[in-house]
Amino acid sequence: MNNDAVIETVQLSKRYGNTLALDHLDLCIARGAIHAIVGANGAGKSTLFRILLGFLPPTSGSARILGRDCRALTPQDRGRIGFVNEEHTLPSWMRVSAVIAMQRRHYPRWNQQAFDGVIGHYQVRTEQKVSQLSRGERAGFNLALALAQSPELLVLDEPTLGLDVVAKRAFLESLLYGNASDTCTVIYCSHQMDEVERVAENLIILERGQLKNMSAPDEFCARVSHWIADIPFQGPLPASVPGLLQVQRIDGLHHYLVLDQDEDFGEFLRASGARSTRSMPVSLDRAVNGFLAKNHAAPLAA
Amino acid sequence: MSNLFIAELLRFRAWALLALLAHLAVLGFFARMVDPLQQPLFVYQVVAAVYGLVGLLLGLYQMGGYRKPNTWLNLLHRPIPHIEVAQALAGAAMALLAIAVLLPLLLVIAAQSALTARVVDLRHWGLPIAAWAIACASYLAAACVMLAPRKSAVFPVVLLIVLMISDASGIWVLVLQAMVLAWLAALLACVFKPDLCAPPRRALGELLLALPMQFGIWMFLAALTLVYQTGWMLFGTHPLNSTPPAGGYVEASRADGADLLLAGLDLATHADAALWREQVRLSEVHGTQVQIEEFAARQQLTNPMPMEFDDDTRRTRYIFSHDDLRFHGVALADGSRDGVLGVGGDHAAFDLPPLPLGRSALATAHAVYAYDSETRQIHTRIALPPGETLAALPTPAGESMSVLSDQALYFYDARSLANAQDVLAPRVRVPLPGAIGSLDRVDLIELLDGHLLSLVYGRGGIDGPGDSYQQLLMVDGAGRIEPVARRELSPDFPLWLRHYDWWLSPAMHASRRVLANLFADPAPLRVRDPAPRPASMQLLAAALMLASLLAALWLSARQGLQGPRRWLWVAACGAVGLPALIALRLLHADRDAPVMEMAGDRALNLRATTCRCQRSGARCRSPRVLRRCAAVAALARPGARVMGCAKRRSRRRPRLLARRASAGCPRTSLAHCRAWRQPGPEVHGTCAVLDESGELAMTNRRCSP
Repeated sequence: MNNDAVIETVQLSKRYGNTLALDHLDLCIARGAIHAIVGANGAGKSTLFRILLGFLPPTSGSARILGRDCRALTPQDRGRIGFVNEEHTLPSWMRVSAVIAMQRRHYPRWNQQAFDGVIGHYQVRTEQKVSQLSRGERAGFNLALALAQSPELLVLDEPTLGLDVVAKRAFLESLLYGNASDTCTVIYCSHQMDEVERVAENLIILERGQLKNMSAPDEFCARVSHWIADIPFQGPLPASVPGLLQVQRIDGLHHYLVLDQDEDFGEFLRASGARSTRSMPVSLDRAVNGFLAKNHAAPLAA
Repeated sequence: MSNLFIAELLRFRAWALLALLAHLAVLGFFARMVDPLQQPLFVYQVVAAVYGLVGLLLGLYQMGGYRKPNTWLNLLHRPIPHIEVAQALAGAAMALLAIAVLLPLLLVIAAQSALTARVVDLRHWGLPIAAWAIACASYLAAACVMLAPRKSAVFPVVLLIVLMISDASGIWVLVLQAMVLAWLAALLACVFKPDLCAPPRRALGELLLALPMQFGIWMFLAALTLVYQTGWMLFGTHPLNSTPPAGGYVEASRADGADLLLAGLDLATHADAALWREQVRLSEVHGTQVQIEEFAARQQLTNPMPMEFDDDTRRTRYIFSHDDLRFHGVALADGSRDGVLGVGGDHAAFDLPPLPLGRSALATAHAVYAYDSETRQIHTRIALPPGETLAALPTPAGESMSVLSDQALYFYDARSLANAQDVLAPRVRVPLPGAIGSLDRVDLIELLDGHLLSLVYGRGGIDGPGDSYQQLLMVDGAGRIEPVARRELSPDFPLWLRHYDWWLSPAMHASRRVLANLFADPAPLRVRDPAPRPASMQLLAAALMLASLLAALWLSARQGLQGPRRWLWVAACGAVGLPALIALRLLHADRDAPVMEMAGDRALNLRATTCRCQRSGARCRSPRVLRRCAAVAALARPGARVMGCAKRRSRRRPRLLARRASAGCPRTSLAHCRAWRQPGPEVHGTCAVLDESGELAMTNRRCSP
């Protein structure tokens, strides 16, 4: 057991009928920093969070959060873990002031300064009902509530889903310019690579319930390279291309997105008939998309 | 917790106030039209059902909203114990129901007590509490329905059925309701947990859920006879829906009185039998039967029937008060108080609450009274011996009047009954040959010196247990009784059907009786002849229980139950039978993912439906694809071994041919580690295949053919 880990899973599996949502997942997330978890739909991200918070039983394996077995979380443990989901589920019939009062009473380490620091980004009035808040305001209110709890671990499960660009920016600024990352570990789950690139110091990629990558975003970008080759005839068979993630033919040029390939890949292309080759760095968005698209479901005809 | 409680109160405050006003309006209108405290039982049952429905809807709506995955997580993921969250939500709901149900009822009763001359007894103040308790119990049941594991979700409602079938009365109704409320509250506390799919963790929670489950399953299975009988009716041969079988109970219960007497006399060997046959054809046949199912009990909350009668001459309505056991008059003209009526000239208190059974007849369990409008007095006319209970009011029987009790049939002089005002002595007492609960009908003719009686027994056993027969008696003027003939009536329904609910689970059958009689007063008019269980039915019940026990042994191992919990379930299945076995299957899923260390410390999930070929890396998700899996060929190769417990199926061989392999399979996972092998190289189902080098080639489970 790693005492410095906020989240640790060992051979964690979860089945829904015939679907394996988590497949013998070994994951260890260190304390501190903002960790981003990305993955395609069905990669097991939400399932992982539900298991970690004790709302789903694992099919096999074990999971610990803040050093505690996820099936034995105490109320005190829950007070140390903040959670914000994509729906920003809050009691819609309550007034903002009532929600604040309730949370303040439930959480002994309530930090009003942190709350005010985040909610200041939004025009939320305390006499408003939660149902009267816009989605962006609700997201900000939810984040403010979560941060004011002074959690040791804050889990954000696709918190910007459905937000417009302004609300999204406000949300990220709240997260970045608050003191959240200084005082607690943040697990940020998102499909938005620009957000991940902006906030995350560690990139965790899940695919079909398995851990595929855990590194700094820059390191992952460095593993993926984009090669453009001028091959007059048919290029090499995809099965023979090492580390191939994606291949496209655009304007007569072959574009290869490959993983873990160095300059030798240029030699490979030239040996395959390329008259010229060129290597380009890729953005995180392109790298992750290419990585996840490799095994993504596609129609047979494609 | 208080914040959650207040928040939930505020959430529904508008609805609660609206319900309060609507309820008050309906009750107020009702009270203007009739006396709401003097209604027949059916009215109270309908109103109670409405309150129950209100509670059900509140529970379904409230918990249905909270059980959505993200909402549930948001509600429970906070630093307070789950039980306190449950208490806050349920407490708020019950407070809301108090506003909507309890408060209006209390206000209306208080208004009736203060502003009208109508009778308001101590017992009536229990009605609002009972109504609130029903609404709360329904709410808790609905909350449990929403939060319990899906396959067992509906069964908390069974606890409400306990309230419906109970014969308890008075304060004991409130005690029973309190017990049901406590049970449901405890059950809610057990199912109010983060993981909604899992059964209750603690043994107490499982017990609280499993018992109503078993009872509910038994009731459901027992109710399946209705489906069978409906189908039977469609074929047009059902005894109750077609020409009844000759010589059966249904035919006897529907027969003309004279025909019934003649049918009984056909078996008579008495010297006067021929003469009586002639007299039957010439005489008027009189009859009587049980008219009263139950009497009013002192301080019972509701009434079997309105406890009031009208004196049309004096324009007065007399309403019985359980508090002082006397009738209180209310003038129909202006609603003012109009005297008090007791027994006799000094208006003594009744010994029991009397039922008004006619324009001027009143009856308690032990006596019949008559009201005389002229003298404004109530007189005792018939007093039964101590220990006997009245079953039917005086009925004409020629020059006599017959009165039926639970133990005897009495004949009184008709003229004395009509003219005198004193307590009458019976001319003849005829002890009943069977239990009153089984007596269907009494037919009689007057002879020159006495009566010829026909008594048909078998009531309540048309499609149930119990023997049916017709007994003929001759009673002479001196009161001598002579059995004339006994005709056995053939059962109209097959044996298995008549005893169906018993052999299905004798324990549950007995439980139902216990639950119905819990806190109930003795009901002498429901006593029935003991129903003998044929040996074949006893054998069937025993076989079913044994089969359930053996099946529970297998199933509990498959589900991974261990320790006392497993053996308690096995014992329950042996004692209760099929309902317990079905409950076990519904409550516990098959063991989830036995992870085994096999073949080089590699963790294997034998329950994974997906099979992965270790050589090619291909994943196979269906038997069809499985056949293509390259690893399957490993089985066909010389030296390949199947690890674990193989189970073969062949059309020519018995289905079960289990064998344990030499290595790898712990005994506990016997049921989970099986391979289905058909002729040919295809492997279907669970298998762990090793090739000749001992390397793992393929794992899979449950790709059954």
